[in-house]
Amino acid sequence: MIWVNDIIQGILLGGLYALFACGLSLMFGVMKVINLAHGDLAVVAAYVALGVIALTHIPGVWSFVLVVPIMAVGGYFLQRTLIQASLERGTITTLLVTFGLSIVIETVLLQFLSANSHGIPDGSFGTASFSIGSQISIGWLDLIILVVAVTVLLVLQFYLSRSRNGRLIRAVADDREAAQLAGADYRHIFGIAAAIALGTVALAGVAYFGMYSQFDPTIGTGQLLLYAFEVVVIGGLGSLWGTLAGGIVLGVVQQIGAQIGGAAHPDYQFLAGQLVFLAVLVVLPQGLTGIRRTA
Amino acid sequence: MTALLELDRITKRFGSVVVADGLSLAVGAGDIVGIVGPNGAGKTSLFGLIGGDLAPNSGEVRLEGRPVTRLDASARCRLGIGRTYQVPRPFVDMTVFENVLMAAQQGGGQRRRLSYARAAAVLERTGLGNDANVPAGRLGLLSRKRLEMARALATAPRLLLLDEVAGGLTDPEVAELVTIVTSVRDEGVAVLWIEHVLRALTASVPRLICLAGGSFIGDGAPAEVLAEPAVREVFLGTEVTTSLAGLAGEAAREDA
Repeated sequence: MIWVNDIIQGILLGGLYALFACGLSLMFGVMKVINLAHGDLAVVAAYVALGVIALTHIPGVWSFVLVVPIMAVGGYFLQRTLIQASLERGTITTLLVTFGLSIVIETVLLQFLSANSHGIPDGSFGTASFSIGSQISIGWLDLIILVVAVTVLLVLQFYLSRSRNGRLIRAVADDREAAQLAGADYRHIFGIAAAIALGTVALAGVAYFGMYSQFDPTIGTGQLLLYAFEVVVIGGLGSLWGTLAGGIVLGVVQQIGAQIGGAAHPDYQFLAGQLVFLAVLVVLPQGLTGIRRTA
Repeated sequence: MTALLELDRITKRFGSVVVADGLSLAVGAGDIVGIVGPNGAGKTSLFGLIGGDLAPNSGEVRLEGRPVTRLDASARCRLGIGRTYQVPRPFVDMTVFENVLMAAQQGGGQRRRLSYARAAAVLERTGLGNDANVPAGRLGLLSRKRLEMARALATAPRLLLLDEVAGGLTDPEVAELVTIVTSVRDEGVAVLWIEHVLRALTASVPRLICLAGGSFIGDGAPAEVLAEPAVREVFLGTEVTTSLAGLAGEAAREDA
């Protein structure tokens, strides 16, 4: 039964991992930018959440209502300024610039907000849970986060396939010059895609640092970016369902690793995730659901 | 009266290669102008300069007297410059209808029902009505060329830049596309038309421009332009020599 519990906990965590990773996947898919600051932006969102909570005194779990729009707007401007400027200088430049951005974010956070760990208070609801049998205990908030994550992915999928802007995002991702000729300003569309990416990573950041982990300025690159990459690689690029599958696989594998390691080897949690990540790279380089591109 | 499109001493260099050497040109509404020239003459670059993909080193592009030189391709598209690519570039993962709908909404600036109606009308006109829900990536060459034109038309252009409509198509296929082009011109849209297949062009344009080495070396009625020694010289040794000679011969007979 303990394994069943691990798998359930892994699935609950996996939805959140997928939410973390979908922005990374979207930015790569649309503007071919590998955003190495992706994890740090989740940490920034967590600090913004602390600020929002201090200023407005809203309950911690509700801080996302303000944090997500703030980060989305920030994402739009980040794309239109720094990332756009680096895009025009070539792909390798975007890699260097986002790497630099990651270092700058960490350093600024360390300088002004110290290396102390923080948590986003989630109140009594954060620990409320219900049990199935004697061994399986499911946190209400964990369950809600999974439902929210899947809902966000569903809405995003629907948005990309049906809406006017979603169609534009697909067109620009396919051929930005041809999209220009059809009258679409690709820079604005890139901005929208970046806004979505930062909005989702902010939501994931608030949830993760509310529920699962403390945060400090370095956890973004040290942990989250790695998780997001693992999810994208395991799931396969270019599909939100792949991202969800990748998130759940990573979540379950980590829980099983943690169970095997026990208290003596807590690092087995991360090791297990990385082993599966490597195995997928070797056996299924296009990921679980990735499309093998020939052209 | 101000011309629809004016080029005012446009120069564009890539390093030491000059693709446009002080080009000036005026095109009025409803004009249809063919552009020929050997490979590397700067024809597609000229479209890049007019459409906004390329920024000139000097000179000005004006649309209805308004300078558009500093506007990018999407802004120029919204002002009424539509363009097709020599090699069609559809959005392969989207359906044919979505391809055209997007152009109608962005370039044509139309919303909701109007944009759907325009997209449907353009598909009908370009003979793609039955392929509306097919992913664009599955289309064959002729249909891709049609889609390329449909997408340009959906943006409601006042100036249409056609880059090699006929390349790779059979004569009846070319004839179909030419019919569409002339019907567009009849509505008052100006058309600039690059073509290697001279038969398609000479039959449908009253004015032909020959471009070589970044300069215009001929401008006038097709038969006259093709009969000019400078034009014949740049075409010597290419596959079109024989058809050129034939056309020039006809021109000579007409003159005689």
